[in-house]
Formats: sequence, C-alpha cells, structure tokens
Amino acid sequence: MADSPEKRGWIGRVWNAIWTPAVAFSSGFLLLAGFLAGILFWGGFHWTLELTNTEEFCTSCHSMETNLGEYRETIHYNNHSGVRAICSDCHVPHEWNHKIKAKIMAVKDVYHEMVGTISTTEKYEEHRLSMASVVWKKMKASDSRECRNCHNFDYMDFTIQEARAASEHQRAIDNNMTCIDCHQGIAHNLPPGYLERYQEVTETLAGTPQNSVQGQLADSSAEIRSYLTTQAE
Amino acid sequence: MLELLGTIGANIIGLPGILGLALGMMTRNLMLGAAMGGIVGVIETLIFAHWSFANVEMTELVIAVIIGICAGMLGTAIRIKGATV
Repeated sequence: MADSPEKRGWIGRVWNAIWTPAVAFSSGFLLLAGFLAGILFWGGFHWTLELTNTEEFCTSCHSMETNLGEYRETIHYNNHSGVRAICSDCHVPHEWNHKIKAKIMAVKDVYHEMVGTISTTEKYEEHRLSMASVVWKKMKASDSRECRNCHNFDYMDFTIQEARAASEHQRAIDNNMTCIDCHQGIAHNLPPGYLERYQEVTETLAGTPQNSVQGQLADSSAEIRSYLTTQAE
Repeated sequence: MLELLGTIGANIIGLPGILGLALGMMTRNLMLGAAMGGIVGVIETLIFAHWSFANVEMTELVIAVIIGICAGMLGTAIRIKGATV
C-alpha cells in the first residue's frame, strides 16, 4: 500500500508533484512559461560557455603562463591588421557537437592545474612534446578544422604571397595536405624531436607503415614558424 | 576514456539527446521512440561529417545512435508516465 502524502519524504513529495497533472495552470501558461524558461536556460548556458572561450579565462591558470608568453611572440597575437586568433579560435571547435566534446575533455586541464603537472618550467618542458602531440593528432584528424575557420585555400591569392609560400600552398593542395602538416608550433615553441613525433602521429592516424606519408610532411616547419614570427615583430 | 566521455556528453546535450527526447515524448510506443531517437543519432553524425560517409567515425556514430535511442525511450517513458493522452 502506498504511503500517504504526509508520510512521504521531500524527495517523494517532489516526485509526486512532478507527475501530478497541473490543475492550477492552463496548457498555454505552461507552454509559454516552459518556452521562456528554456530561452533563459539556454541563453545562460551558451553565454557561460562563451565566457570560457575568452583569452582571459584560458590564461587565468598559472600553468598557461608559458603558453601565453610564446603565443604573444607570434603573428596570431600581434600583427599589422589587428585581426587576432585567441586560444579558443585554435583549440575550440565552432560546431556544437565538437565544441561540447572539447569543453568536456578540457576538464582534464583543471585537474592538471590542481595537481601541478606543468607547474614549473622543467615540468612544462618535460610534457611539451606529449601535449603538442595531442593537439597535432586532433588537428590532423580534423583536417585542421579550426585553422580553416579563418584560412581557406579557395580564397588564398597565391599571386600576392611570397613565392615560397605560394609554392608550398600549391604543393599542399596537390598532395591533399592539411595546415598542421607544415605549421606545427605556429603559436608555441617546438620541442626537440618534434618532426619525428609528428611523423608518428601522421602514421598512426593513416594506419600506414613508416615513410609512406613522407610526402605529407614539411621538412621546413621551423623555417615557416620563424618566418611568421618575424612578420609579427 | 576522456574522449569517450566527451563524445557521450556532447551527444546528450546535442541533437540525439534533446531532439531524441522531444521526439520520444510524441509517442507512447517505446520502440517507435527508440527508433526516432536512433535516426536522429545517425542524422546528427552525418551533419557533422558534412553528409559524407567517408568522414563518419564509427565510434561517434555508435555513441550518437545509442544516446538517441536512450533519449527516445526516456521521452516515451515520460509521455507514458506524465500524460493521459
């Protein structure tokens, strides 16, 4: 026999209230109230999510100081036009599903900040290659989706690019390469042995034996990065 | 593991979770609710793969369909429990 309403705990009473048909409100009232509550909730949720995309939020952790310093030396931070790409432009996808996935996965960053995984320069350098590899793997797998939010081969005028840049971009199109194949370390310093690691990342994703993807790797990404950094100065 | 959790979470507050739940609430037939949710999972994966099966990752597709089915069934359960029609 069911307990009388008086004997139920507060959870039971709330549960009962949820499933009892509304007698005090009309369907129109409930529909409108639900619609407004939905807008408020979704707006607030989305607004909060966007706040976590700001540069201030990303660099508010101590662990991010090194990244920030390196990024400030690049063309993506400071350039002649004033158009910038902040942390989230490169590291957070625009599409809803991918964005939420990235946000959920970013919980690990909070954990590592708390336990101090990269809290000192030495620890940071120790983890630099593995952290970079994770980002390269994501970018290679997504065909540099976040780069392509701003950069698009279809609208690149090779005639006003430097000869070497134009030729490399043409090679990228011809060989079906992606941005990160050449532009590793575009915003952060590169650790020793990065080319070998990038090769491993590419091979793992392609599921192919060594040397078969050599044509998709740049042999001069350090030079490209150096060139872009010089342009930012 | 984190990748898996991220994909599950993204699908719960993405199309399979929300639209699947909404569609499930439109029927009292559990199988129909599950089927509609599952279809939303397939469609969502295709949308994010730019309608190309070549870009579809099997893990993502499977997770989206499972979340869609669960959401659809939950929606149907809500309909059965919370409505007299």
